[in-house]
Amino acid sequence: MKVLLSWVREFVDIDESAEAIGRKMSMRGLALEGLEPSGTDALLDFDVTANRPDCLSMAGIAREIAVAYGVPFRAPASRLAPLATAAASAPGATIPITIEAPDLCPRYVGAIADVTIGPSPVWMAERLTACGVRPISNIVDVTNYVLLELGHPMHAFDHARLAGPAITVRLARSGESLETLDGKTRALTSQMLVIADAEQATALGGVMGGADSEVANGTERIVFEAAWFKPQSVRATSRALGLRTEASIRFERGADLTAPALAMARACELLEQIGAGRRTGPIIDAYPRPYQAATIWLPRPGIAGLLGMPVPDAAATRILGALGFDASPGDGGWSVRIPGWRIDIQRDVDLIEEVGRHHGFEHLPTTFPGVQQAPAPSDPRVARDRRAREVAIAGGFSEAISFAFIEARHAEPFLDRPGTGVGLANPLSETFAVMRPSLLPGLVAGVGHNRRHGQRDVQLFEIGTRFSRSGEERVLALAWTGLATPDHWSGGRRDADFFDIKGAVEALAAQFDTTVSVDLPPEDSVPHRVLVPGRASIVRRDREVVGWMGQLRAAITDAHDVPANDVVWAAEISLDGMAPAGAARIKRAEPLPRFPSTERDIALLLDESLSAAIVRGTIRSHAPDTLVSVVEFDRYQGKGIPDGKVSLALRLTFQSPERTLTDAEVERATTEVVELLARECGAVRR
Amino acid sequence: MQIREMERQDPPVRLVAIGPVYRRDNLDLTHTPMFHQVEGLVVGRGITLADLKGTLTSMAAALFGAGQEVRFRPSFFPYTEPSAEVDIRCIRCGGEGCPMCKRTGWLEILGSGMVHPAVFEYVGYDPDEITGFAFGMGIERVALLKWGVEDIRLFYENDLRFLEQFGR
Repeated sequence: MKVLLSWVREFVDIDESAEAIGRKMSMRGLALEGLEPSGTDALLDFDVTANRPDCLSMAGIAREIAVAYGVPFRAPASRLAPLATAAASAPGATIPITIEAPDLCPRYVGAIADVTIGPSPVWMAERLTACGVRPISNIVDVTNYVLLELGHPMHAFDHARLAGPAITVRLARSGESLETLDGKTRALTSQMLVIADAEQATALGGVMGGADSEVANGTERIVFEAAWFKPQSVRATSRALGLRTEASIRFERGADLTAPALAMARACELLEQIGAGRRTGPIIDAYPRPYQAATIWLPRPGIAGLLGMPVPDAAATRILGALGFDASPGDGGWSVRIPGWRIDIQRDVDLIEEVGRHHGFEHLPTTFPGVQQAPAPSDPRVARDRRAREVAIAGGFSEAISFAFIEARHAEPFLDRPGTGVGLANPLSETFAVMRPSLLPGLVAGVGHNRRHGQRDVQLFEIGTRFSRSGEERVLALAWTGLATPDHWSGGRRDADFFDIKGAVEALAAQFDTTVSVDLPPEDSVPHRVLVPGRASIVRRDREVVGWMGQLRAAITDAHDVPANDVVWAAEISLDGMAPAGAARIKRAEPLPRFPSTERDIALLLDESLSAAIVRGTIRSHAPDTLVSVVEFDRYQGKGIPDGKVSLALRLTFQSPERTLTDAEVERATTEVVELLARECGAVRR
Repeated sequence: MQIREMERQDPPVRLVAIGPVYRRDNLDLTHTPMFHQVEGLVVGRGITLADLKGTLTSMAAALFGAGQEVRFRPSFFPYTEPSAEVDIRCIRCGGEGCPMCKRTGWLEILGSGMVHPAVFEYVGYDPDEITGFAFGMGIERVALLKWGVEDIRLFYENDLRFLEQFGR
C-alpha cells in the first residue's frame, strides 16, 4: 500500500521523517517495502499483510502510526459534518433500493447527486497519480480518492442510464450477462451477486461496474454507491471471472460494515469541495443486517504467558483503546469489543498479538525454551542419509540436487512399464511434467552439463525421493564418468570401470548391512533396460532386489547431451530398502586371541571361469573351525598352466582360542580345505 | 510436516525437518519451482514468543556471524498468532539502502510465530494448556545471501566448479 506522507498527516500529527516512520512501522507489523520522494512529499510503500484490509488506506495507516507514536488519531468521522441518513423505506427516498440477498449484502448506502463532469483539480489528480491511480474524471476520481483515504470502495452510476431508476441487489439470473467497465462481456452465473436496475444487471457487486451505466461526459446526475459485500461472495466472483480490482481486493479480505455511510458522506463532501456537483435528497441507508460487535475475553495472564514479557495494564489498555477496541476491565482480564474494521480479530491470541506488536517485539527478552523431558530419539533415517552422504563423498562423489519433476521423455526409460509415470495434473511446463521415477535422469543431466563445461572427470551422487504409482522411495544414485582416480605421478591413468562403481556400491552397502551383495547376472540378461547388457548388476539384500548398477545405454546419455563416446557408470540403490545405519556394527567385543596363529600357503589349479567369490564361499561354509582367514594372494595364467585353467594361491590362517595348534593339526586342517575344494570346485593342488 | 508429527505424538514436541517444497514459480535468477525449507516446531507448556526470538536470533547469528545485526519483526501467517519475521542487516549495503534490500536496509530470512490455537485444536492438543512456536526458512535463499550466490539456478545445475567450492 503506497501512502503519501502529507495525506496521512491529515489524520495524525507526526513530525518524524518518512525514513523514521518507515523504520518504526516496520517493527509494528507494517513492513516498509519502498520509500521514494514525491516532490516535497514522500511516498511510503508498506507491505500490508493479508489479514489487515483496514490498513489499505491513508486513515488505516495513520491509525497505526498514531498508536505506534502514542499520539492522537483524528478519526475520519470526527472531521466530517454529521450527515443524516434515511432508511430505504423512508418517504422522500429519491431512488428505491432493494436488497434481495441480505446475507451477501447486508448494507447498501446510496445517494443521488447532480454533477458536471470534468477533470478533477490538480491536487486531487496529483495525489491519485502518486498513489498509482490514474485520474479519469472528477466523479470517478472522488470514488477513488475515498477508496484510498478511507479504504472503502465506492461506485458511481449514471442515473439516466439506470432503468427505473432503481437499485436492486440480487443474484444474477442464469443466462444473464454484463459488459463490465473494461469492455468485456461477462457471462454471469446464479452464484454471482449483481447490482441491477429495474431491468438488468448493471454492476458486479464489489468487483466492477457495468459499461452501460458508466459515468461519462454528458452525465448530469449520478447514483453513488457505498455498500458492503460478503468476502466469500466477492472472492468467488472475482476468481470465476479472473477479475481483480482495488474494490474486490478490499471486499474479499473484509471491508468495514460500519464504514459505508461515512464513505458516502466523505464522497458528497468532496464533490462539493471540488465543485463537481451537489447531493440532492437524503443519503439512503439500506441496512437490513446491522453490525453486531463481537466481544472477546482477554485474560491478563495470557499476555505474558504467550509473549514471554510482561506488559503493564496501562500500556495494554492504551494500545487497545488507540487501535479502536473498547476494553472494559473484568475479573482477571478485559472484555474487549471489536470495531467493524477489525475483521481479523477472532480470539484472544489476536488481541495478545496487538498488545505485543505495539508494545514492541524489540522489548521481548531473548530466552530459550526450557527442557522438561529428554528429547525423543532422532528419526533413524536422518542418520542413515547422513552416513550414506559421508561414504559417497569419501568415495570422491560430489552431492547433486536436481528437480523432483522432470520431462516425460526422460522419465519414460526408467519406468517399470511404459506409461506408468506419475504426471502432474497442472505442470508449469513440459520441463517439469512428471515426478521422477529415478534420480538418474537428473544426475545424468548434471554429468552432461559438466562435460559440456570442460570437466573431464565427473562423479556425482544424489540422495532423494523417486516416485511411482505405488508410492515414494528414498534412494541414493551415483553417476561416474572419466578417470577412476585423479591424475597423479604415483598411479597410472585408468578410466573408471565396472569394478569402480561396484566398489562404491559395496562401500555404501557395507555401512548398512553386510548381507547386501552385488550379483553378476548371466552375460545376456539385463537388470534394467537403461543399462548395457553384460555390464550391469543387481544389488540385493538377502534375496530382495534393492538396486541396480552398470553402464548406462547411449540412448540415456545422449538424451542429456553427454558427449557421444563417454562411458557413464551409474547405480541407484534404495535407502528405504536398507537396514538403518549402524545395524551392521558389532554388538559385542571379542576377547583378543591368547594363542599364536599359524599360516599355510597352498596353490590350486582351477577352472578360469570359476569366480573368486565361489571359492571363498565354499571355504567359508565348510572349513574347519580353526580356519580364521583366507586371502587370495596370487593368480597366475600362462606358461606351465593348461589352457582354461588358472593357478590360485591362497594363504590360510589357523588359530584356536583354547591352545596352540600343533603342526599335525594344521596340516590336517589344510588337507581338509584342499579336499573340500577338490570335491566342490574340481581344484587340483599344485 | 508439523501437523503430521503432532498428530503422531503427544506434547512436548521439538523437531527440525528439512526437505524439498514446491511452488508455482518459473525458473529465473531468484526463483525455482522446487526449493528446500527447514522447519522447526517446539510445543509444550510455557513456550513463549520470547523463546522463539531467542532461538531464532541465535540461529541467525550462527548462520551469519555473531556481529550480524538481526531484527525480529511482527508479521502475519495464517497458522501462527502472533507471527514474526526475522531480518538481517542488508549484507550488500550494510543498511544504507540498495536495490537488493529495496532501500530498506534489511533482508528477510525467515517466517515464524506462535502456533495458532486452531492448529492445536485440529491435532487434538488443548490450547489452554500448551503453547508452541514454529518457523520456516528457505535454505537456498539463505545460501544466496550467505555466500553471495547471484543465481539460484546454480543450486540445481550441479556444476562441479560450483559444488566443489563448498568443500568435500
